[in-house]
Amino acid sequence: MIWKIAFRNLVKNARRSVTTALAIGVGGLAALLLGGFVTSIWYGVQTSMIQDQGNLQIYRNGYLEFGAANPEAYTIPDWQAAIDVIRADAALAAEIAVITPRIDLSGVAGNAATGNSKTFIGQGVVAADLAKMRQWDGWNIGEAGLPTGLPEDPASEEVVVGLGMARMLGVCEALAVPDCKDAPEAGAGREADPSAAEYTGLVAGDADLAGITAGGTGQPQLNLMAATTEGVPNIIAVRIAAAKAQAVRALDNAFVLLPFDQARALVFDGSPEATTIMVQIQDPDRADAVKARIQTLLGEAGMDLSAYHFTEVDPTFTRIFGMFAFIFAVVSAVLALVIVFTIFNTVSMTVVERVKEIGTIRAMGFRRGFVGRLFLAESALTGLFGAALALALGVGLSRMVNSAGVQWTPPSNATPLTVRLMVLENPTFAISVLLFLVVIAVLAAVLPTFRAARLNIVQSLQRG
Amino acid sequence: MNQHIEAAQLDGQTITAGSAAPCAARFEAVTKDYRLDKVKVRALTEVSCTILAGTTTFITGPSGSGKSTFLNILGLVDRPDAGRLELFGADVTGLGDAAAADFRARNIGFIFQSFNLIPVLSLRENVEFPLLRQPMSGRARRDRAAAYLEAVGLGGLMDRRPGEISGGQRQRVAVARALAPEPRLIVADEPTANLDTRTSREIVALLARMQAEFNTTVVICTHETQLIPPHSPVIEIIDGRVV
Repeated sequence: MIWKIAFRNLVKNARRSVTTALAIGVGGLAALLLGGFVTSIWYGVQTSMIQDQGNLQIYRNGYLEFGAANPEAYTIPDWQAAIDVIRADAALAAEIAVITPRIDLSGVAGNAATGNSKTFIGQGVVAADLAKMRQWDGWNIGEAGLPTGLPEDPASEEVVVGLGMARMLGVCEALAVPDCKDAPEAGAGREADPSAAEYTGLVAGDADLAGITAGGTGQPQLNLMAATTEGVPNIIAVRIAAAKAQAVRALDNAFVLLPFDQARALVFDGSPEATTIMVQIQDPDRADAVKARIQTLLGEAGMDLSAYHFTEVDPTFTRIFGMFAFIFAVVSAVLALVIVFTIFNTVSMTVVERVKEIGTIRAMGFRRGFVGRLFLAESALTGLFGAALALALGVGLSRMVNSAGVQWTPPSNATPLTVRLMVLENPTFAISVLLFLVVIAVLAAVLPTFRAARLNIVQSLQRG
Repeated sequence: MNQHIEAAQLDGQTITAGSAAPCAARFEAVTKDYRLDKVKVRALTEVSCTILAGTTTFITGPSGSGKSTFLNILGLVDRPDAGRLELFGADVTGLGDAAAADFRARNIGFIFQSFNLIPVLSLRENVEFPLLRQPMSGRARRDRAAAYLEAVGLGGLMDRRPGEISGGQRQRVAVARALAPEPRLIVADEPTANLDTRTSREIVALLARMQAEFNTTVVICTHETQLIPPHSPVIEIIDGRVV
């Protein structure tokens, strides 16, 4: 009977009920869409990062704390042995999608043709493995990574540079990169950088690389110089296959992605060392379990290595998500406040209009709690209608936005992600928002309901 | 139909006051003050009287004499400031809010001047409403509501809403609603004030018939003395005192 009365009173005051439900619905819609966007960031940005770095990374102990100052002292001594230990575990066999080494290095890059040279930050990767990693879509969000641009042949001598790096080396035109213009001073007319010429000459003395420096392939040539682990300067000559934008300008201006064997030849002189081992997992929700198992295996094998979640290595994702979660919380709080005031106002008006009814009900022997339930039921129903409205609008609008293919570039990405407002894709979140709307509708009605229940019966009966 | 009276008599808890009939209500020096802004107004002054069970008693007096206050205290929707009230042998003077509500639900039915039906409920649902406080199944509630609507001659209009019937019919519904929980006492505050003379007589006659049929106690507050049948018990209140 309580729900019947509540529903009929809502119908009786249809205009007011619709207005209140609309306020709740629009507030809920905003929360659902913003939450859907934050959800898409949660999955989209993580997917991008996992495509590049894997879910887990294995480092030599102490690397994250001190490796930046002395990377040679914190390399993985034998990456193949570590991978073999992990690969040999039957429990992990089905869990791991890709496991691959990476060498992080830095040095000086120069292009003899333009006479430009510049410091570089490089990554040596197994191109085939990285290409496979880029296809990872553990949450099935349909976000495949862009091709690396590196040939999958392990013996390849081609590299990929950052767009800024290409610009500074003056190879944009040669690479035919759109939206990339060589600096005016760069080019054939410029006097060659003596240092570039110096180590280009070093390479020229190597018979194996003569063809490259001669520019036989038509690709811009690049000389990379770095110190080996023994501290001896070493140099290799490679060809630039492509230029690709990087997320951060400083990195974009210095980035070189090169084949693992080239990096190994440059800094480790062929030894089985690597900076890190990237581990990509089939099911991202199993990352913690896999990490623990890997840690156990490495410990049992007596290896001085540790596994880290990618967010432990690079806090960018945590910060980005934290920022959006905070924005979501603030917006939700404001929306909740608006809803609370709307409901409070509506219930207060309803109570004023029904004072006599309250007195009658109380005179008939119903306790205060019954009167309270009567009005709370009305608010709960209003909240339910508002929540249903929010869900319907949220699903409809999110589908429209998603089908429009709008793109945006998160701070951590070099390439844009397609905006996907994930409303139903995260049912826990959607249900939480809807429940929140109903709960807040009920809570907002508590005070006016309490007042209604406390009304003096005689005075209530004398009203109207 | 009225098992409360029978039960009370069997328990020997009823009180008789100068009559063979059991006592429904006993006022002992009941005083009630109201505050009108900052002024204290005395509504009842040491009222003592007895209402016999199984009768239709009329409370009369001019406007502002204290009739409604008397009725509110009798109906346990208000409390005396001083004095003592007994209903069916039980001292109800100091009952708390919840206990008074429970007592009203079991023992008292109300009929109001402006009917006070719940507009969003059908006539049957209105009559059924007070039965929510009774330990009854939904079906039993519906059946009893229908039976009382039949008894007041509105069996054919059960599914209508209060807004769809006349004032006289609404008051009939209010009578059915007051009777449906089968209370020991029915308190009617100016039940005919909003009705024309003919309908007023019909309602008073209906109340008298229902009182006789269901053997309940009815107390009617009215200033229309011409409606009071001859030989009916009457309590006249003037300036807050029983005269």
